[in-house]
Amino acid sequence: MRRFVIRRLLIAVPVLALVSLMSFAVIWLVPGDPASAFADAGATPEQLAQIRHRLGLDEPFYLQIIAWYGRILHGDLGQSILLNRSVSAAIIERLPVTLSLTALSLIFAAVMGIIAGILAAMRHRSWADQSIMIVALLGLSIPEFWLGLLLIFTFAVRLHWFRAGGFVPITESFSGWFLGLALPAFTLAAVQMGFIARMTRSAMLEVLSQDFIRTADSKGLPWSVVVTRHGLPNALVPILTVLGIVTGSLLGGAVVVEQVFSLPGVGRLVIGAVLSRDFPVIQGTLLFVAVIYLLVNLTVDILYAVADPRVRLE
Amino acid sequence: MIGWTRRELLKTGTAGLAGSLAELPLSASAQGTAQPKRGGTITVGLTQAPPSLDAQLTSAQVARAINLHMYETLYARDENAGVVPDLAQGADIAKDGLTYVLQLRSGVKFHNGKTMDAGDAVASLERYRRIGLASILLSGVDKMEASGPLEVTVRLKKVQSNFLDTLSSPGTPLAIYPAEEARKDPKDFKFVGTGPMKFVEYAPDSHATLERFADYVANPNYTKRDGFAGRKEVFIDRAVFRFMPESGARTAAIQTGEILINETTDGPTAKQLAGDSKVQVLKLLPFALNIAKFNHAQAPCDDVNFRRAVAACLNMEETMSIAYPDINKLDGGLVYGYSPYYTTAGTELYNINDVAKAKEWLAKSKYKGETLTFICDTIRPVVDTATDIKEQLGQIGIKIEVKVSDWPTVSTLGFKPDGWHFWTHGLGIEPYEGPAKLMSIWANGISQIKDDPAIDKFYADLLAELDMAKRKEIFASFQRYMYENAVTVPLGNYGMFQVVSSKIKNFVPYRVPRLWGVWLDA
Repeated sequence: MRRFVIRRLLIAVPVLALVSLMSFAVIWLVPGDPASAFADAGATPEQLAQIRHRLGLDEPFYLQIIAWYGRILHGDLGQSILLNRSVSAAIIERLPVTLSLTALSLIFAAVMGIIAGILAAMRHRSWADQSIMIVALLGLSIPEFWLGLLLIFTFAVRLHWFRAGGFVPITESFSGWFLGLALPAFTLAAVQMGFIARMTRSAMLEVLSQDFIRTADSKGLPWSVVVTRHGLPNALVPILTVLGIVTGSLLGGAVVVEQVFSLPGVGRLVIGAVLSRDFPVIQGTLLFVAVIYLLVNLTVDILYAVADPRVRLE
Repeated sequence: MIGWTRRELLKTGTAGLAGSLAELPLSASAQGTAQPKRGGTITVGLTQAPPSLDAQLTSAQVARAINLHMYETLYARDENAGVVPDLAQGADIAKDGLTYVLQLRSGVKFHNGKTMDAGDAVASLERYRRIGLASILLSGVDKMEASGPLEVTVRLKKVQSNFLDTLSSPGTPLAIYPAEEARKDPKDFKFVGTGPMKFVEYAPDSHATLERFADYVANPNYTKRDGFAGRKEVFIDRAVFRFMPESGARTAAIQTGEILINETTDGPTAKQLAGDSKVQVLKLLPFALNIAKFNHAQAPCDDVNFRRAVAACLNMEETMSIAYPDINKLDGGLVYGYSPYYTTAGTELYNINDVAKAKEWLAKSKYKGETLTFICDTIRPVVDTATDIKEQLGQIGIKIEVKVSDWPTVSTLGFKPDGWHFWTHGLGIEPYEGPAKLMSIWANGISQIKDDPAIDKFYADLLAELDMAKRKEIFASFQRYMYENAVTVPLGNYGMFQVVSSKIKNFVPYRVPRLWGVWLDA
């Protein structure tokens, strides 16, 4: 196991180097720079040039990339051009919001998706199965921004059950945290819920047709026990794979949802950085997200072995 | 020396305070009938986070909305953009127009408890000259010194008639900071000013919080709120500026009471909210001048006949109605109607919508049927403007491809000599600030990407002329020249809808949502 983890971490190094190189090159090729964020439409080229000089944006590409890798090797993601703080600090400040949102979404998506998938598999080809699959398809198809606005209008404006946006740290108030995050988390979870439900249903249908399930059933075990104790554990590997992918997608989806619900998270940081061309923040955040993806994948691989003893990580 | 005391400034058109008070919007002049109440928090929904809370380093509109509550300038603009003293008491200008002796108000406190003196003003202006975003504004200054505890003497290299306008610019404000803060590295600056509200907290991408500055001494020379100047009395305890980029989220938040002011909303939402007794929908018009620029460095836009053809063809009413329904005003003036410099010179060529005449001009031009590039950013009304112009010009055979990119891309491309022929965007603060600021956009060929000696001369003449009447004449000639040569195409003024909770009393829309002079009636 240890050798496996070390090997995977070593493989991650060139992947991250490639990600950072590509992000740097792409950003360099995109027209526009952060100078425009400081100025309005009437700004003169001289004013913009002055800002570029102050920000060091007029230095050649090779000098900037050498400086970038030099900083990375020292564990420094650089200094944000617009936020007056380091990129690491900017990410860490926003991390609780994105982690809260992603975690709550993952709970919603996993719990509801898995339950729906199991129910659909248990009632295969019944109206319940068809209804669950239609709802799952609907969840997969609805754009997040539209669903978000619909939920705000219904549950915040009309019913006053939840807040329309903003973030309250869990350390300040649990109810404030939940009431602010419930709608965005559900919005974010809706797509993934459908995905998990469909995958769980497929995995469960495959497992439920196996001989050992028939044996368990013929022994007289209640069907619910057959499903939860014999079926579900054996369908876990594909579900875990899906959960790994879903976690990554939730991080990506957070970009849109944080914008709609005015949540000050990492997704909003990325959007703001892209729109204002805050290069160090874009590069630093992409690298950070790549690290998260790699860690999630590594965790999923390790969980395979935990869920299924037949899997040998060596 | 010409002794320009405040009293004399009030008499002149330059200061224009007397005039401005007479022309105050009805709602503003009718203000103050109810008894103000102290206390409470007002949460304002802004469209984005400010790039900086250091007023000297940004000209972004969203930054002004917060910063102008925290910082003040020596001179400021009144309700009608007239130049009036704020932290200064007045100015004495030498007969040669080169020396300005500024008397500062006494007893003005910074948020850190220190009392403002001339050293702070000089250190702040020096900082602006060194690192300010619009440091070019002070490029005409030869030297500045504290010539007394409350006296600053500025010596100019040459006559600059708009020097007091410059000091009062809200665009990138020449904010006065404590000298010790002004000398710090900008990264260590502590957001200390003299404004009626002081900095409390900035939560990135979330909100900025200000609170009433208890030691604030309202300017005793005024009795009422007046533009960015006047009497800035804060009745609320706190202000929270929340950064909410999604329009629907801001609308929902004001409906649920999570915010009490929505900085801006679109026309359909304004209509929808108009019947809601819990909010007031207010119009701020004019807010900006919509223009279509030509790239004079590119054929056929270098040809005056082509530009005249475009200007003659366009129906501004159609464009403005599509881009800014219910919140536009057809006006050919290059400065807003309330400006003392406002003129109709040349506007007989505005919005003529004469297709036959346009075809005539086009036949005389270099245009050979090639497809021209129209660049614009992603904001919906801007895209609508570009699309409508494309359709209208199609009537006379001009082919256009509209290229939509985000603002950083467009604002970089738009100052390059190739890659575009037309560019449309709004000019908000420039027509507000007046002729010098507006003319500077085209001086030295900046916006049209090609030098125009006639415009440069208008600009130089304006800066060298101290007589107000003559400056007005110069500006009128400039405006006429702009129309006759179709240097650019002014399309009309547009505004914005602001939504304010009915709990807020005495709010008058202005260029930023001013929180002084307003109170909460719970």
